[in-house]
Amino acid sequence: MPTILSYVAVQNGKPTRSSLEALSRAREVARARGADLAAAVLAPDAAAHADELGRYGAATVYAVSDPIFRSHLNTPVLAGLEAVIARAQPEAVVFPSTEGVKDVLGALAVRTAAAVLPDVARFEVAGDGAVEALRPVMAAKFLARVRAEGKPVLVSVRAGSYEASEAPAEARVEAVPFAFDEGSLRQTLREVVSSAAGAVDLSDARVVVAAGRGVKDAEGKRLVEELAGVLGAAIGASRAVVESGMFPATAQIGQTGKVVSPDLYVGVGISGAIQHVAGMANSRVIVAVNQNPDAPIFDVATYGIVGDLYKVLPPLIEAIKQRKGTS
Amino acid sequence: MKFCVCIKQVPDVTAPIQVRDGALVMDAGRVVLNAYDASAVEAALVLTEQHGGEVEVVLVGPERATETIRKALAMGAHRGTHLVVDEGTPLDSHAVSALLARHFEGAGCDVILTGKQAQDTDAGLAGGMLAERLGLPYATNAVGLALEGDTVVVTRQGDTGQEVIALPTPCLVTCSNDMNDPRIPNLRGVMQAKSKPLASERVAEVPAPRVRVLGYEPLPQRAPGVRLDGEPAEQAAEVVRRLAEEARVI
Ligand SMILES: Cc1cc2nc3c(=O)[nH]c(=O)nc-3n(C[C@H](O)[C@H](O)[C@H](O)COP(=O)(O)OP(=O)(O)OC[C@H]3O[C@@H](n4cnc5c(N)ncnc54)[C@H](O)[C@@H]3O)c2cc1C
Ligand SMILES: Nc1ncnc2c1ncn2[C@@H]1O[C@H](COP(=O)(O)O)[C@@H](O)[C@H]1O
Repeated sequence: MPTILSYVAVQNGKPTRSSLEALSRAREVARARGADLAAAVLAPDAAAHADELGRYGAATVYAVSDPIFRSHLNTPVLAGLEAVIARAQPEAVVFPSTEGVKDVLGALAVRTAAAVLPDVARFEVAGDGAVEALRPVMAAKFLARVRAEGKPVLVSVRAGSYEASEAPAEARVEAVPFAFDEGSLRQTLREVVSSAAGAVDLSDARVVVAAGRGVKDAEGKRLVEELAGVLGAAIGASRAVVESGMFPATAQIGQTGKVVSPDLYVGVGISGAIQHVAGMANSRVIVAVNQNPDAPIFDVATYGIVGDLYKVLPPLIEAIKQRKGTS
Repeated sequence: MKFCVCIKQVPDVTAPIQVRDGALVMDAGRVVLNAYDASAVEAALVLTEQHGGEVEVVLVGPERATETIRKALAMGAHRGTHLVVDEGTPLDSHAVSALLARHFEGAGCDVILTGKQAQDTDAGLAGGMLAERLGLPYATNAVGLALEGDTVVVTRQGDTGQEVIALPTPCLVTCSNDMNDPRIPNLRGVMQAKSKPLASERVAEVPAPRVRVLGYEPLPQRAPGVRLDGEPAEQAAEVVRRLAEEARVI
């Protein structure tokens, strides 16, 4: 029976939401093709995630366990994935489009002689085993319908393109022997600078409050943080305020930054340049606060508030507190 | 140190673009140096200014893409190589990286830089593919780049933070535009660029792309939204009511 393999990225000891979305889609595709669904996990204790992946329908979990996977480094991840692909011989490998995956996808394609469709919004495995997908292009102004043939075809899926849904199966763990020779590593990880300990990956957040250049000073930043606090939101940012140093690069949403697709995105003082919208247009509900009625962000906003954020945010924060009964 | 920077000419994504019969229709004259590659050129220039060395730029593209090489030369790159293909030749990251790998074989680059992705297709693959083809250690999505002797120190933007990675030379790094603000060529640079060495080599055989584009379609439109008017307190109350009762997200 053919196999569809789904790579599961683990962060802070848990599979990421985008990984579970990719796995859920891989399950639908596998079911339609009568293929087996397998998951690949690279983690210090990879087998520990098998039960959870079984809940999403993985029949086999290829577990590559090594302490080196505690932090991301491309050489060992490539070696681990190469080993799993050699063993599983999948038709297609489905990835969440995380920065960690983007770091290895091109090299992995060359190493496994695979064809690769990166960062897709939709994909299908055709009758002949080719993968057809829709990819946002031109700063996500258009979708390209693309097709790739090969064994395997690698496909990475943008966060929020599919729902994560459970369909319990009994997962069989297959431990993949992995002896990584650290002497062969031609790279050294010196340091990992996390923006906040145990911070949620923005791409996984259900609610996002994003700040732009309209947020001009410490007072504005405090208002954004307070709004995020009452909404239980992760904080995102436009390139302008990442460049100015007010927010960390990890918070950047857009073509250079991350793709987010929360249930609720609130953009504060963001104009809505195409490169920013490329990263958030797939949010379910979009609220925009901007003093310029012609700002392009209003073209994608579900609810548009034309006004000065310094005047709008304080009553907004109060109103949310009241609604949530926390004041 | 010899820096070799891969640059791509891309359509200006902010220009008017339409889809007609599944094809993208735009002004073929509106092209730019890929923004991420401009940052890669800038990074190479800064490091050679600090530590000495040379910057070569390499481009795969049709005849008219020469202007993009001149742009990089005007920024300050020392020499350029143009791997010329026919106008309209289908290329993807796979094909481009194969051509670049052939070019770099024995070229003596200490550090190869690419953009993290092409601004038009956002593929983000050619850098990693090239590194693998050449057997080089690499890092992607660099937001910082420094030299410590022969060691290249990359700060890369990862999923939840930044990773500081040391690589020996030769190596390859893909660059984010968050790394720097590329210089705008001045008149002197533009004049000097005209006499800088630019080698033009016709590509005899272009590898077949592995990704086929079947067609383009417009992005599905979002349902039109509503504007909430009034005083800030009224706007706030109304949006919260709608978020709770209509959209049910709080
Ligand atoms: C290759 C490339 C990649 C890029 N990638 C990204 C990316 O990933 N993410 C990204 O965000 N950008 C990206 N950009 C940059 C993008 O083009 C814009 O420059 C950027 O998004 C602008 O950020 P902004 O909306 O915060 O600033 P501005 O465009 O300056 O907008 C500020 C807005 O704030 C409003 N405002 C000002 N004061 C107030 C106030 N008191 N109250 C309410 N509103 C106020 C103004 O009306 C204005 O609309 C990229 C650009 C390129 C070329
Ligand atoms: N035609 C090209 N010529 C030279 N370099 C290219 C070309 N296409 C892509 N590259 C390089 O590869 C990077 C990634 O491209 P891509 O995989 O197409 O997103 C770009 O930022 C360039 O540095």
